[in-house]
Amino acid sequence: MSYINTFRGTAGAGSGEAGQAQDRFGRRIAIRLEQGSQELPHDISERLRAARVRAISQRKREAGVAMALPQLAAAGIGQQFGQGPGLWSRLASGLPVLVLAAGLVCIQALEADRRANEVAEVDAALLADDLPPEAYADAGFVQFLKSDR
Amino acid sequence: MATERELSDFLRSVEKRAFKRSAYHVRDEEAALDIVQDSMMKLAEHYGDKPVAELPMLFQRILSNCTLDWFRRQKTRNALFSSMGEFESDLSEGSDFDLLETFLPGDLSNRVESAEDEVRRAQTLREIEVEILQLPPRQREAFMMRYWEEMDVAETAAAMGCSEGSVKTHCSRAVQALSKALKAKGLEL
Repeated sequence: MSYINTFRGTAGAGSGEAGQAQDRFGRRIAIRLEQGSQELPHDISERLRAARVRAISQRKREAGVAMALPQLAAAGIGQQFGQGPGLWSRLASGLPVLVLAAGLVCIQALEADRRANEVAEVDAALLADDLPPEAYADAGFVQFLKSDR
Repeated sequence: MATERELSDFLRSVEKRAFKRSAYHVRDEEAALDIVQDSMMKLAEHYGDKPVAELPMLFQRILSNCTLDWFRRQKTRNALFSSMGEFESDLSEGSDFDLLETFLPGDLSNRVESAEDEVRRAQTLREIEVEILQLPPRQREAFMMRYWEEMDVAETAAAMGCSEGSVKTHCSRAVQALSKALKAKGLEL
């Protein structure tokens, strides 16, 4: 069969008898190439297999990271506001830092309050307690009483 | 969404063809392996959650882009090391480099067919590959996608980033060139 005569003058035409002959010829070539591709050297086949396994494992790792993203991004709320999930991811990654800072501020406030209460209790105990007579002879104590009032 | 098994099966089904196609393009076995590996990684990393039906097109585009990236890197490297002959890469159509010198089919001893048929088949494949290497890159790419990857004209055009008319023209010219060359060698398919 003369493919040359059949195909001559058919450039750009993919239909009709010539187009079908062209497709048949192309598929025959492809069959030969496919046969050849199945006979790759063992080391190349193995390296392709290793590359495939590595790619699949990479997919799993990516999937794990995706699962760790906040539910807001997963639910597509970022798109609702016209922003991509990348922005939400960045905001979400800053969230733990904000929570930590707020926690530290609360702890500091509570601690300051606790210390003030302790000092107040000591002062109250001192003032409520009976004073020894010698205290009134102490110049510093007298000064303290004057300044306090 | 493609499961891990489906993605693995898909990659297994395309990896050898992808390697051969890359080897035809870059004419370097190691580079072809790198390109296929990169393509697999990118597909799995970025599109591993896509439906199975979308994977072939995505992979073809990624493979084409990775091949183009390789050529760009070669071009840059050649510009930097133009005086070093071993870095030179001849991308012209008429290169004398024979991929088959380092890329012969594997062990032929365990076949059931006769030795004569085996030799003839290997010879035919070799001649076909030689002629495919002679095709201009775009014609070769269009031909490979259209007939070996069994993509239709629209899919091939999308993967190559050109019009459907260009794909038809590329394929037609590739077929004409191949048929003419193979006939001149007395080969019938």
